[in-house]
Amino acid sequence: MTDATSKTATAAEIARAVSSGQAKAVDVIEATLRRIEAAEPTVNAFTDIVGQRARRRAAEIDAGRHQGPLVGVPFAVKNLFDIKGLPTRAGSKINAEGPIAKRDGALVRKLEAAGAVLVGGLNMGEYAYDFTGENAHYGPSRNPHDPTRMTGGSSGGSGASVAAGEVPLALGSDTNGSIRVPSSLCGLFGLKPTYGRLSRAGSFPFVDAFDHLGPLARSAKDLALSFDAMQGWDPDDPVCTDKPADMTMLSLDEGIGGLRIGIAGDYFAKGGEPECFEAVATVAKALGATRTVVLPQAAAARAAAYVITAMEGAQLHLERLRTRPQDFDPDTRERFLAGALLPGAWYVKAQRFRRHYRAQVLKLFEEVDIVLAPATPCSAPRLGQTMMTLGGVELAVRANLGVFTQPISFIGLPVVAVPTRKAGAMPIGVQVIARPYNETAALRVAAHLEKQGVCVSTPA
Amino acid sequence: MADKPDIARWVDEEAKAIGLPIAPEYRANVIVNIERSLAIVAPLLAVELEDELTPLPVYRP
Repeated sequence: MTDATSKTATAAEIARAVSSGQAKAVDVIEATLRRIEAAEPTVNAFTDIVGQRARRRAAEIDAGRHQGPLVGVPFAVKNLFDIKGLPTRAGSKINAEGPIAKRDGALVRKLEAAGAVLVGGLNMGEYAYDFTGENAHYGPSRNPHDPTRMTGGSSGGSGASVAAGEVPLALGSDTNGSIRVPSSLCGLFGLKPTYGRLSRAGSFPFVDAFDHLGPLARSAKDLALSFDAMQGWDPDDPVCTDKPADMTMLSLDEGIGGLRIGIAGDYFAKGGEPECFEAVATVAKALGATRTVVLPQAAAARAAAYVITAMEGAQLHLERLRTRPQDFDPDTRERFLAGALLPGAWYVKAQRFRRHYRAQVLKLFEEVDIVLAPATPCSAPRLGQTMMTLGGVELAVRANLGVFTQPISFIGLPVVAVPTRKAGAMPIGVQVIARPYNETAALRVAAHLEKQGVCVSTPA
Repeated sequence: MADKPDIARWVDEEAKAIGLPIAPEYRANVIVNIERSLAIVAPLLAVELEDELTPLPVYRP
């Protein structure tokens, strides 16, 4: 049995140990805080640690005051989630000036209601406009599997904290790939749920049309446990669905029987390094998937996601760009400025195209239940690297780490990023994509791959 | 196909039109980003859409 205070313990293992009295929550939290202290000089995952709050909560758990499926599980959140008493940084210097959050974000409250214990806020790319995990104000989050490399972003601290074994569970946000990219580069399981499935209340926005929140963990079961605890309608997020919650834990171990699984071809089979296609092939083989399917016009979908992101993001920050551009991270500033100058006709066309693309892709999901695609076009680039070669073409790292994730979040499909890793190589992930509201199918596939030993996440 | 746009002029005039000052030290990189956007957006601009395809008024995935 895994020691609940060790860095390899999963959320499920910790919750079982604490709820059965085999471990004390205070011991789990003390061990977590010690690991964070030891790992931070290397990985730079945290911007805020709420040790006192966590210790108090853990003592309350040991006194029997809180229970639930995640009892005693330490977790941390990307610093665009509100944490009561702290400014919601969203990776920026500007927001660090305040205001101070008066209450925790909705998902933080839900996880704590399930017994989990918040230990801190995590580093991220400024205002989530990032695929690298680098940040000029707070320093880059560093990949625990090789600290000279990127974590991916923008949920870089979320990826680093879980991959380093500081915490078993972190929350991130994903607008164009910001959960899936760090999951891929850090070798983690990550869930970007269906658009509108989880409340975004009490989190700092980026692009309302695509903003999603979700968990990163080292097992499919931990994704399912936390996802189930976070579901439910929330009137404070107008996009949040009122569909009944879908308890994914109930069918997590049912295997892949009855699931029709396709492999994304065309756009998703080019424009990446061989390692990303090998990862897809490995996963497809383990699932017995042989059928290639095409998400039509994926390149246009990526373009449309790019346009909507650039323009909505720039509009959100326009006043700050007018009055204090010098306080932005240089790596986001000029992209935001450029986004403010793009033609309105592009934006409207992108929105009109979204309706068309959604209809085409939903038609495809009448024939398959799951589509496999690369998560990133390559494994972790080196920190500071600005250009990379993909399929023989020299491209900007920042704009292109999300080429395979953008066409999926564009229409809000649920995705589980699953990790693969060859001996001696850095990890790289695969997207397990399902139709809207069918997170259950994607999680079942992820759990099956984990059980087969094909997708395994081990802390550095 | 129309002539290649003068992106430097685009940046200067549009910034003026919307009241967004762009400091000289940021200008070159803004131009690079507009050039990059033009390349990325091409597949979208190439798509032909039926007139009936309006944006979804309330987006549901």
